This record gives sequence, C-alpha cells and structure tokens, in this order.
Amino acid sequence: MTFISASSGINRVNWLAALRMPPIVALSFVIIAIVIAWSVAPGLFTSHSPVAGVPADKLLRPSLAHWFGTDHLGRDVYTRVVYGTASSVSSALVAVVIGVVVGGLIGLFAGFLGGWVDVVFARLVDVLLSIPKFLLAVIIVTAIGFETINAAIATGVSAVAIFARVTRAEVLKTRQATFVEAAYLSGGSRWYILWRHVLPNASRSVLPLAVLQFGESILVIASLAFLGYGDPPPASDWGLLISIGKDYLKWPWLVYAPAFVTILTVLSVNRISRWLRKTD
Amino acid sequence: MSNAYLTYAGKRLGQAVVVILLAYVFTFVVVSILPGDPITSVLRNPQNGFSEQEIAEIIAAQGLDKPIIVQLWNALSGFLTGDLGMSMRSTRPVSTLIAEVLPSTLILASAGLTVALILAFAVAYGTRFVPRRYGQGLLRGFPSLFLSVPNFVIGLVLIHLFGFQLGLFRVINPNSFWATLFAAIALGIPVSAQIAEVLIANLDKEAEQEYAAVARSRGIGQARLFAKHLLKPASLPVVTAVALTIGELLGGSLITETVFGRTGVGSLVQRSVSTQDLPVLQAVVSLGAVVFVLVNLIADLLYPLLDPRVKILGGAKRQPTTADEPSIGATKAVTP
Repeated sequence: MTFISASSGINRVNWLAALRMPPIVALSFVIIAIVIAWSVAPGLFTSHSPVAGVPADKLLRPSLAHWFGTDHLGRDVYTRVVYGTASSVSSALVAVVIGVVVGGLIGLFAGFLGGWVDVVFARLVDVLLSIPKFLLAVIIVTAIGFETINAAIATGVSAVAIFARVTRAEVLKTRQATFVEAAYLSGGSRWYILWRHVLPNASRSVLPLAVLQFGESILVIASLAFLGYGDPPPASDWGLLISIGKDYLKWPWLVYAPAFVTILTVLSVNRISRWLRKTD
Repeated sequence: MSNAYLTYAGKRLGQAVVVILLAYVFTFVVVSILPGDPITSVLRNPQNGFSEQEIAEIIAAQGLDKPIIVQLWNALSGFLTGDLGMSMRSTRPVSTLIAEVLPSTLILASAGLTVALILAFAVAYGTRFVPRRYGQGLLRGFPSLFLSVPNFVIGLVLIHLFGFQLGLFRVINPNSFWATLFAAIALGIPVSAQIAEVLIANLDKEAEQEYAAVARSRGIGQARLFAKHLLKPASLPVVTAVALTIGELLGGSLITETVFGRTGVGSLVQRSVSTQDLPVLQAVVSLGAVVFVLVNLIADLLYPLLDPRVKILGGAKRQPTTADEPSIGATKAVTP
C-alpha cells in the first residue's frame, strides 16, 4: 500500500518535470480546479445558503465562521461567491466557445479559400475590430436583453474578430508548409487537407488565445454584471456581488472578497495561457 | 513625401472610410434586426403613458414605419451630414445630448491616457534599473497583474482607500480635482498595463541588439544608454499600442464614470441603455468606431514618418493579402 502511493507520487513529480511546469503554473491549475469544483458542486464547499440570510448576523467581519464575512442581509459572502461561480465561469466559457467557433470558422475559410471570401471576411473583421469591444458588448446585450447568457453572447461576439484574425494567419502559414504540399501531391482533397492538416496545426496557437480570452471574458462579463446587464439579484455573479458591495464601502470585504476571487482566477488563467504559448 | 507613401496613405484613408461606413451599418443592423423590439416595448410601456395615436406619430416621425433599407439609407445619409437623429426619450437631437457630456469624458480620457503613459514609462524604466533582488520581478509582473484586474475594482479600491479612509476626496463631488485624478488613475492603470507590456518587451529586445552592446563596450552608463539609445526605438511601437488602447479608454470610461458618479458619455450610455434609447446608443457606438479608426489611421500614417526603418512596399504594409501568398501549387522542391 505504502509502496504504491509512494511510487505514484514519484510518477506525479516526473510528470510535472517532463512537462517542465513551473510551480506557479501548477498552482494556477490548482486554483482553476477549485473554481471548477465550486461551479460544479457548490454545495460541497459550504453549508450556508446563498439566498437566505440570518438578519442578526449582518455585515460581520471575515472570521472562521464566515471566511469572507456577511453581507447586509446576513448572507455568507463566501457562500455567495461559491454559488456565483457556476454562472460567472460558464458564461465566460460560452463566450469563448462562440469566439472560437465563429471566429475560427471565419478565419479558416478566409485563409483557406482566399479570393473574394477572404476579402469579405477581412472587411467584416475590420469592422468588428473598429468598434470598441466593450461598447459592442453593451449594444448587443441591450438589443437582446439583460441576462447573463446574453451578456455571454455579447462578449463572445466581441471576441470573434481576434479569433478570426489569428486563425487566418495560422491557416496561411500552414498552407505553405511542405507537408501540406506533399498531401496535395499524394492526392488529398481540399477538404481532407483542411480537416486533417490545416485545422490541427492552426488550432495549436488558437488554444493559448482561447485560454487568454477565457480570462478576458470573465472580466468583461463581470463588468456587464457590474453595470446591471446580467441576471438580477439574488443571482450572485462575481461582478454583481462587487456591484452590490460598492454601496457598502464601509464594509469593504463585500467588494474585496469577490474581487479577490475574480482577480485570482483571471491571473491563473492568464498564467496558464502564457505557459501554453511558451511550451508550444 | 515619397510616391509610395502617398499611395499608402491614400489606400489607408480609403480603407478607414469604408470601415467607418460599414461599422455604422453593422451597429444599425444590431439594434434594428436582432430579436426583441425595444422600440415598441419602450413606447407601449404603460409607465410612459403614450396613447396609440401618439405612438403612431412618434413611429412616423422617427421613420420607423418605412422598410428597413430605407431607414438605413436615411440614417446613413444623416450620419454622413452630421445629423445623428433624435433621442427617443428626451425628444432632443442626439448630437446635442452628446455635445453636452463630451467635454467631461474628454477630460477624463485624456487624463487617463496621461496617467497610463507616465505609469507605463515609469514601470518600463524601472525594469531596466531596479536590480533583480529589489523587486524587478514585481515590476515585470505589473502588466499581467493589472490586465487581470477589472477596472471597476481599481476604482472602488481607490475610492475606499483615498476617499473613505484618507478622506482625500468626497464621492458626492465627482468633478473636484482629486476625484477626477483618481478616476483618471482608475481608468489609466489597465491601459498602462497594455502599453507597459509592449514597452518592456521592446526595451528587452533593443538591449540585446548589437548597437547596445557596442555602446556598453564603449563604457556608456546605464542611464545614458537608456535615454540616448534604447528609449527611441523601443517607444516607436508604442505609438501603435497607444492607438489600439483607445477602445479600452472609451469602454473603460463608461465603467469609471459609473463608479465615480461622473456625468459623461459613459453615463449617457448607461441612461440610454436602461431606457432603451437606441438612437443615442447607435450614435455613441458608431462615433466610438469613428474615433478608434481615425486614431489608428493617424498612428499608421505617422509610423513610417517616425521610424525610418519601416519601408513601404507598394502600399501594403500591415498584413500579407492572399495575392502576396505563394500559391499551393507553386514549384517548390519537395524534399523528404
């Protein structure tokens, strides 16, 4: 028994060393794992209720019983943060998926087909890039309605251009590679080559960008929630929690606790993205 | 002014005009075609108390009963002649509404940009002079840290520390000197992180160049090397980086104005969003695009003049178009 656990421990270390993962990146992965766990099963991490408060316990300082203190209704802030994670994280995920899929397809076809397709898509990307990102997200969320999922869609649309641009550049680079030429010469069809050779190679540099964009989306969606363009209370998205906290600045943990979690998450995500870019 | 430069400038100018027009069409499409009908939901809102006849009049006055293409044409020709339409809520011209609040936002944005530039250059300077064991790593971490902090959090922290704890300014008086300064700092910090990132990377690159090694071998001091040799080539790309942060400044001022309770374009957008005043939103967003495109156009036109190393090849500088790409079937020896 001891032998097995010891050997698996060694394996773990070897695995880390093989990936050449600096400790800070490992820590970032741990933080992200915790955040994901919070969003999947918030009930495991806290025994308080995110909605019902104890009026007698309102605005308590952070303590062992309430790690992040309590808010103006006597609700545990840590619990609110944990329960708000699912919405904050999954909406950022939705935004990234929209950006990667729509932007990626635009970039793929523009780069691979060339000609007038490329010209049309290039102009579309120019237009999307020319509108300040946050204003674009605001106007889209206004048009489709104030909900967190709509804020996620708006954030995703505002990220389409950057993914389109990067994918196109990668596709153009890959298209000239010798092995693609070889695939043509050995009789591969256009679509086969696109699917088998160009896409996997282009996706390599899209992955770090997608991770980076995930962190950025958390920030943009938090900003939209902060302005009140997401789900209304009693939802507890991180941006919304900070927005509620700003009216109680005498009890600063209401702002600092959710802000701390947001910043830590985005920092970890960005660190992982930087590591992915370097190891490639 | 060489011929190639003029061709390049003309091409970029034409591109900018096309992008601005398309951006206007795009925002128009977003507000008018997307599902949900904010216009009638505002007009039919019982709180506003319009009668059916009044609603019909307003719709006719705004030209909302015409086909969408006609509406677009009217809006676009108005936009080109400087007529931004009427606000749905206050029945005043949108251009007047914007002109009223513009000065305050311009003050905030330019102060924010100033803060951002000073901070970015200070941090970048620090990374060359602060020894490693006295926190150079901390300075190098500055961009990635502040790219991860929502800018409303920076604003709230400043209000909490300097407004509440130290009593330097009162939140009730958002236009006082101190309140404006701190709003500018809150707006400027995330922007400075972007600029500092570019600047630090360039300084590192330039410091490894041969001319820097030659200067060092001649016994030149660190400070002189920085000021005389590294700073100029490293800060040229910053022109482009600053132009790209204009969008951040515009979007950021929306949030900063909300946090600090200032009136400005941001608060106008806030109000128009909550009242679904689409003509105002459309105008602000497309003007945002105009500012962004023009600033970037100026940066692109200035760059070849500032940096003699940039050569303009037949008017195409930015990215290879498909025409420049060697085609797949081009004869190239396939070596195993």
